Amino acid sequence: MSEFIAGPNFSGRSAALMAWLRERAPAFFVGSYAEAALSGLSSTVADEIAVYRAPKPKRAAFAPLDFVAYSARKPPTLSGGEQVLLALHCFSLSDYASIAIDTALEQLDHENRERALAYLSQGAANGFTTAVIDNRLACPPGWSSRQFTSISSEFACDLATIQPPRCAAPVLGVQQLSFRYPGGRGIFRNADVSLAPGRAYRLTGPNGAGKTTLFKLLAGVLSPTKGELTLNGASYAPWRSGNRVFALATQNPDHQWCGATLAEDLARRRAALARHSVSLPSDGELLALVACLGIRSLDQHLYELPLVARKRLSWLWPLAGAMPWIMLDEPTLGQDRGTRAALADAIGRLTSQGYGAVFVTHDDEFAARIAHKPLRLARESIVS
Amino acid sequence: MTPNGAVLFGFLVIAGALIARDLGSLAVILAIALIFALGSRERIWSALAWSGGIVLPLALFMALVWIGIVGRAPAEIAANTEGSRTAAAFFVAIICLRLFIIAFAIQAASLHFAGWTPLRFVGALSAPPVVKKLLVLTLSLIETILQAVDRARTALIAAGLITRRHSWRNLRHGWILVQTVWLTVVTIAIGRTRDKWPIEDTLGRLDGALASNTPRLNSADFAWTALAIAGAAAALGLR
Repeated sequence: MSEFIAGPNFSGRSAALMAWLRERAPAFFVGSYAEAALSGLSSTVADEIAVYRAPKPKRAAFAPLDFVAYSARKPPTLSGGEQVLLALHCFSLSDYASIAIDTALEQLDHENRERALAYLSQGAANGFTTAVIDNRLACPPGWSSRQFTSISSEFACDLATIQPPRCAAPVLGVQQLSFRYPGGRGIFRNADVSLAPGRAYRLTGPNGAGKTTLFKLLAGVLSPTKGELTLNGASYAPWRSGNRVFALATQNPDHQWCGATLAEDLARRRAALARHSVSLPSDGELLALVACLGIRSLDQHLYELPLVARKRLSWLWPLAGAMPWIMLDEPTLGQDRGTRAALADAIGRLTSQGYGAVFVTHDDEFAARIAHKPLRLARESIVS
Repeated sequence: MTPNGAVLFGFLVIAGALIARDLGSLAVILAIALIFALGSRERIWSALAWSGGIVLPLALFMALVWIGIVGRAPAEIAANTEGSRTAAAFFVAIICLRLFIIAFAIQAASLHFAGWTPLRFVGALSAPPVVKKLLVLTLSLIETILQAVDRARTALIAAGLITRRHSWRNLRHGWILVQTVWLTVVTIAIGRTRDKWPIEDTLGRLDGALASNTPRLNSADFAWTALAIAGAAAALGLR
């Protein structure tokens, strides 16, 4: 029977999931992020499928995407949601009798999430058992449920006390923006949009539409093939001059560390932003903010933190108020209901203080808690 | 052509390039490598450019040292003769052409398998399973490092520590990029080896994925091998 493991963060859910897997090993595991979702043994999507494909697959394939069209792509270049869909596709072709998923379904858009849950719910008919942790899901009908309630206080976070200073963020303009990955498909073509400060915008679109790509363009990590960004009408090119406007929290928190420890990360960012005359809060203020996120010391080694704590720490720069625009890419992944609500309220406080915010989430409950305007990616354009 | 044939051909061409001692012999070997590349029916310009790009830094350095500064070939120094910059230039040309042929032979072999995935290529090699697995793990490590570089660049550019384009700041902060890449590689490797691989027995699945019924060698392999042997023999004869 399929099993749903429920409870808040740090209640022992993941340990229970791993124990469930070990009892059934070899079994398929889809972890929260790519390194635990994909095998890491393949250079292409076609090879990833070949690693898992059984000589004679015994069940119907789960194929929400045309993976033949993806066959030559490198798995890490797929979006987070596409990687999860690829992992599920590989499982459906394999001969594993059990699969466990640790919050990875939270990366899927509504349609793909429903498809995935429908497929997993038919496990009995297809000859496999399932265990799932998911913060946005109630126990599906016909599944057994295990509820965890005790919470470790080690990484307890309290976002209610965070109060950013006032800010006069500039109007952000995107003008005739075009972007195409080298040798890949077009993501944007002559996209135009104007974003006003003091507001939150929810960027939506199916998995692989280019949401993370837009964030990378705004942060200067990628440069457009055509078009420009403006701040209050003046041209702004972070891909040339460096980013001084957007505080980015990436989907995978490990995409944003600049040092081994938190203190090292802070010192390097402080030095880099000083060049743009952007001043950060003092170390004392940052330590207080970090404590609100559940971390007690600046000497904390970043890569030794649990993933959920690393994800919370990724919100530090957006919440610190040092930069006028904040960008949050799937900020609630892996976070329990209470933390998601507290984060939504903190974003609301930022926008009421004059900051601009753009966030990507497939979590409707979280988005509904923030007064926002929708921004939709469709047909290589941004529709407001 | 089979992967085994490509490896054999590449080995013979490289051996020929190492045996050749003058520009004439090397030109014969290069001609054979070019015919082999054209035989793939793929565009060979990128293979030529890549090979040239690999050799160029060494060529510039050697030209500066041997032609510009020393002004004599090593053989002339050993014989304690006066020597000339022309002899030094021939020496540099031979070394660089040899390296170019080695790089190009590998590129040319890969052109013959342009439509193949790495796993299929490794699977079709006639090698013990443990060697094939080691090859796959090596490729996996390379991919992991590339993935880590992408991640680290994203982090450091977004934070303003480095820039997208070439800059002095990038040179100054290059070591931070190396540190971040290293930490990322370790994190990714731990994520896989602690949870994913042991529970799935992912490495065990490679046995099935690497099994292949491709013939060890086919007639095309024998034809190319004969050409490569002829080239190596010519190089030996021209010494």
